[in-house]
Amino acid sequence: MKKWFFKLLPVFLLCIVCIASVIIGQFYFNFIAQRIYEDSANHLEEIYGQVNRSFGSFVKRNWGMLDNWDGYIELNGGDKSEKINDYIKKEQEFWGFSGFYFISSDKSAMSLDGAKASMENLGEEWNLLIDNGQKIMAGYKMPDGQDVTAFVIPVAHKEYMDFGYDAIAITYNNQDMSKSLNVDAFSGKAKCFVIHNNGTVLLSTQKGGNIFSNYLVYLKAKSGLNETEIAKLQNDWKNGTSGLLQCDIAGVDSFILYQSVGYQDYILLSVVPQSVLSAGFLSVQRVTMNVLLIIFLLIGVMAFTVILVRNRMQYRRNKTELQYRERMFDVLSSTVEDIFIMLDSENQHVDYISPNVERLLGIPVGEVQSNIKSLAKCAVDYNIIVPKNELSEIPLNGNKFWECEYMHQNTGERRWYRVTIYSMSIRDVKKYIVVMSDRTVEQQMNHQLQEALDAARSANEAKSNFLSNMSHDIRTPMNAIVGFSILLEKDADRPEKVREYTRKITASSHHLLSLINDVLDMSKIESGKTSLNIDRFSLPELLEELNIIIMPQAKAKSQNFEIHVNGAPPEQILGDKLRLNQILLNLLSNAVKYTQEGGNIDFSISELPSSAPQYTNLRFVVKDNGIGMSEEFQKIIFNPFSREISSVTNTVQGTGLGMAITKNLVDLMGGIIHLESAPGKGSAFTLEISLALPEPEQDEMVSRSKVTRILVADDEEDICLNIKELMRDTGVDVSIATSGAAAVEAAVRAHNDSQSFHVILLDWKMPGMDGVETARKIREQVGDDVPILVLTSYDWSDIETEAREAGINAFMPKPFFVSTFWQTIEPLFACEDTEKERPAETDAKVMEGRMFLVAEDNEMNAEILTEMLRMEGANCELAENGEKAVEMFEKSEPGRYDMIFMDVQMPVMNGYEATKKIRASSHPEAKTIPIAAMTANTFSEDVRNALDSGMDAHLAKPIDMEAVKEIVRQLLKKSDDTDSQDTDGGKEQ
Amino acid sequence: MKKKILSLILAISTIFTLTSCGKLPGKNANTITLIGKKSDLEKSYMQSIFKQYEESTGNNLEIISYEDSEYETTCEEKFSKGEVPDIFLHFHNSDLKRFDVAGNFKYLNDQSWVSDLTDSAKAYCMDENGNLLGLPFWESSVSGCYYNKTIFDSLGLKPATTQEEFDALCEVLADSGYTPICWPADGCSWMIQFGLDPLFADNADTLSKINKNEIKYADIPEVKNMVQWIADAEKKGWFGTDYLNTGWSEISPTMASGKAVMTFIWDTWFYTDLEKGNKYSVDDFALMPVFMDTAEKGTYEGGNLNMMMVNKNSDKLNMALDFLNFCATAENYNKAFAGISTVSCFKGQNTNIQSKMVTDAAASIAENERVSTSSSRIIGYSGDDATAAFNQLFHGKVDVNGCVKMMDDCRIAKAKNQGIKEFQ
Repeated sequence: MKKWFFKLLPVFLLCIVCIASVIIGQFYFNFIAQRIYEDSANHLEEIYGQVNRSFGSFVKRNWGMLDNWDGYIELNGGDKSEKINDYIKKEQEFWGFSGFYFISSDKSAMSLDGAKASMENLGEEWNLLIDNGQKIMAGYKMPDGQDVTAFVIPVAHKEYMDFGYDAIAITYNNQDMSKSLNVDAFSGKAKCFVIHNNGTVLLSTQKGGNIFSNYLVYLKAKSGLNETEIAKLQNDWKNGTSGLLQCDIAGVDSFILYQSVGYQDYILLSVVPQSVLSAGFLSVQRVTMNVLLIIFLLIGVMAFTVILVRNRMQYRRNKTELQYRERMFDVLSSTVEDIFIMLDSENQHVDYISPNVERLLGIPVGEVQSNIKSLAKCAVDYNIIVPKNELSEIPLNGNKFWECEYMHQNTGERRWYRVTIYSMSIRDVKKYIVVMSDRTVEQQMNHQLQEALDAARSANEAKSNFLSNMSHDIRTPMNAIVGFSILLEKDADRPEKVREYTRKITASSHHLLSLINDVLDMSKIESGKTSLNIDRFSLPELLEELNIIIMPQAKAKSQNFEIHVNGAPPEQILGDKLRLNQILLNLLSNAVKYTQEGGNIDFSISELPSSAPQYTNLRFVVKDNGIGMSEEFQKIIFNPFSREISSVTNTVQGTGLGMAITKNLVDLMGGIIHLESAPGKGSAFTLEISLALPEPEQDEMVSRSKVTRILVADDEEDICLNIKELMRDTGVDVSIATSGAAAVEAAVRAHNDSQSFHVILLDWKMPGMDGVETARKIREQVGDDVPILVLTSYDWSDIETEAREAGINAFMPKPFFVSTFWQTIEPLFACEDTEKERPAETDAKVMEGRMFLVAEDNEMNAEILTEMLRMEGANCELAENGEKAVEMFEKSEPGRYDMIFMDVQMPVMNGYEATKKIRASSHPEAKTIPIAAMTANTFSEDVRNALDSGMDAHLAKPIDMEAVKEIVRQLLKKSDDTDSQDTDGGKEQ
Repeated sequence: MKKKILSLILAISTIFTLTSCGKLPGKNANTITLIGKKSDLEKSYMQSIFKQYEESTGNNLEIISYEDSEYETTCEEKFSKGEVPDIFLHFHNSDLKRFDVAGNFKYLNDQSWVSDLTDSAKAYCMDENGNLLGLPFWESSVSGCYYNKTIFDSLGLKPATTQEEFDALCEVLADSGYTPICWPADGCSWMIQFGLDPLFADNADTLSKINKNEIKYADIPEVKNMVQWIADAEKKGWFGTDYLNTGWSEISPTMASGKAVMTFIWDTWFYTDLEKGNKYSVDDFALMPVFMDTAEKGTYEGGNLNMMMVNKNSDKLNMALDFLNFCATAENYNKAFAGISTVSCFKGQNTNIQSKMVTDAAASIAENERVSTSSSRIIGYSGDDATAAFNQLFHGKVDVNGCVKMMDDCRIAKAKNQGIKEFQ
């Protein structure tokens, strides 16, 4: 309030001074005007009073002269007209009148020289003359049109030149007479009239002559006098009253002075422009005004200068402060991630924009300044320019905000900004301040939180679904197990039913086990505890194992399952065979599951180019023509617990974890997997994975040196050519036959040419003559010397007997691998040089008579194992914990136990500790006794931990007796080998 | 209908006359020949007097008419062949010199009817030597300054009697918000001649010299004064603001509405052209002299009159003089001019209609009227040329001297074109 007051104080003071000056000036000028008026009036009255008196004297003089001449004429009348004539003529020349007339009472007249005239138009004055005997002055128009003024006096009736007259008159030309009224004092700009009291003009000093017939009419028409003033004027004239008026006449401010002449009704009327009359006074007034004006002007200029200087200083201060603030703001804005903009509300002109806009958005400051809309191109999906009407909707001192993603014009970096527009009034001008605050981190955090939340929700939902599914999926086999167990008890005396129920219980148990495995796998993967066991493995073996598993499944559904190997992928690879197998098995199992009966499933393997020689890039494609899947499901197929809902899938058992596990394992291996699928058309999963190549092994196979020429027969020529290509680097010459007959012919011809093939490789299923028949023909014609192999992707067990009878030496699984080939033929050639090895113990006998130490805390599991071992002809002793197991082992006689099955999780002492103690014990077999983990801890690290603790193998629960036998066979063989070495060595020592 | 009948009669008579042109003189003992312009002879009063004559005397008039445009050249050819009619109708203008007036026509000063002619008419018919060349028998008007008397009265003004008074009037009228003078600059071809008339009508020697190309307008100070006065009046605003776009057709509304108070025109214009129903009618107007600083007391211009000139060499001279005498008889001319709006040529003329404006100003007219001189008697004079020169002046393209020079140049050029030997 105070600041405002002091700021405007000079203006108030200036206004007060101005108002006071105007009032004083007005007072002064009114005073001056009044003085001027009074002085002018006095001046005018003085001058025209003198004129009036002069004019009255003139009238009186004329009448006096006429009196004198009347006497003279009377004295010299009669025949002395010449004398009279001469006398009057002389007087006329002296006084300047225009004529002398004798006038009779009948208005006829005669001039001095006897010329007749008429005084008809003398008017009312005639009555005054004749009837009242007054001396008169009257206007008169001469016959030639000239206006004259006649001075007439009545005389006693006389005669002159026989003309009887009653009055004598002299006339003056009006123009001449008017000169007597002229006043030189007013530069000729004053007008003087002798008028009758009705305004009729007798004489006028009007420049150029009298043009007015009635001046009152003119005043009525062209003066500023109102009706009242005109009426007063008329009244004054009628009463012979003098007066002074000031009024406008035809735009000229004039004084009107009227005075009675004193004779008849004549008025002396003077009209003088005020500018003329008051010229002197006005001049003084003008000078005074000019001086005052100059003084005021000077004061004004000084005040203006002071204000200007003050404003300029203030402006400079403001400007400096503004620059300082702007600079400070620029510096500030360069260090922050927020952008500031000031906008004019009218035209959205950019008043200010912080220079960091170029750094943050990559758009030049000048570009934004010239057009705020240029910011819009940085917006990713939003136009920053809020419509003007929307801006105008922001209330004063209110704000509006939103968040928007912007992209840096140069780097493409995207950042989130919170755009807030504040509406405010700055010096009564509406402005908008736009603040663009960087919210990228918050946005990302929010996004991540949202994603996490979504994921959690999704996971929760999925897990709920999973639990629901699992509840169903677990209950189903459990129902079978429980149900069939009850039936088993009922029908225990019916062996066929027992076997049936047992088989169904076993199947349900396996399904249940797979469910549990999947769940555990997924759990393990999600907890990040999954690790890979990298080891050397054979790709052909892997494919063979897969084929062994999948082929029966496909066959069961009459599906056509084929494995294709394109090119020559490496056969020995470093990697986690188990996990790779799991991945491919998942894909293939799904293909079988979701492909209708009679459908096709192709499994192809090819090697992709690799930039690193020590790595191979393998591509596995599992393609089927099954039910396929929707696009929506394709997006979530790799998500855990995801299963597509359809009439078909609902009939297929599954946990919805298989593909999630697959994906995670692929990721773990650094591979990629992608999917192409369409509902009703099938699916194609492509797995690309890079695997290390192992150091090549020394090949000592006998067959290598003996086989240089082989015959390959297959109705598919591509397979033949592929085999030829694969064998190219081996130095083996490969001949091709695309039918059984052609193979027979080629074999016979080669035999006859003494160029017999060292090996003949026949496809099993060829049109016309199949592999077995072809082999039989070849044997018939070339004998038994040439080894004949049958190449097949099918289970050959059904035809094995027939095939061997036909002369087939061995079977070789498809696809063809060189290593498999060598391995297959090796025994055939080795037999030729060495004695046939003693056949290995059969699996059935490996368990017979064995004594196992079983460490198992669970009585049921212990019982099951005991029973299963007993069924295999083996015995066992039980230890309820690790400590007991250690104790029992240490106390045992050497050779008492063939092997130890060690549970891991046990009370008192776990399996690892127990194993370590056993290995560390002083028992003679402490180091050699095979110990196999038998545990429900099935992860790879569990396996590793088991091995690290000193165990020799790992068996997963539930117990698979076949796996147990295989492990037993391997470990005991190993143990036997070690023992014999030790014995030999001992012997040596 | 009457007009058609008259036209038919005239046409028949014309054909008849033309077929007998070759034997103009003495064709028939009681027939006299009369030649005139076709349009002139069609006037009702002309037809009336011809008819009266023939009916009254039993004599015949052989009326020969020519188209207006070819009248001068045709007559000149006839005259050059000695085929001069008994009576020849012509205006007293500069073209009359082409017909050897002194050699062909009788001066009529001695005729009895001369005293009955008005001064104005008589003056018009006399040459510079006072010889009366013919009998004026024509309708006429008075040109002067016609002013709106009603407006004058409302302002308490009276008509001017001097140039100074006129100027004062103009000032007062202008100060009062009126346009003092309606000056139709776009075609005011007649106005300039009003100002020039006093210079040549009052001074026969000046007229003679300028027609002999001995002097020019530029040599006459009064001409320059007149041009200067007009230029000053224009600068003072006495012509108003729209005068440059004012032509013949705008005079009527300007005057009838009272926008302008005075104009220089003739009395019959008020009966033929002043628009009816506007604020002011003919009764609101009065007449005073034209003031253009060439005559102190102003001037009126008398009308141009067709004169009946008599072939002094005709063997029917007396018969022709008798015809003129018949025409100049009060009874006959009053019968012929009955109801015709015109200024009287004869003092005894009383059946014609004279405007009140003219009669009210009779004394002033009698004192200040002049014969229409400049337009009719200055060789090469053209009102349009003069108008063009003044328009150049008003547009500021020439000064006063330039305007005078333009008027001279146009006049001399036109005289050269007419083949006047003094200008060759």
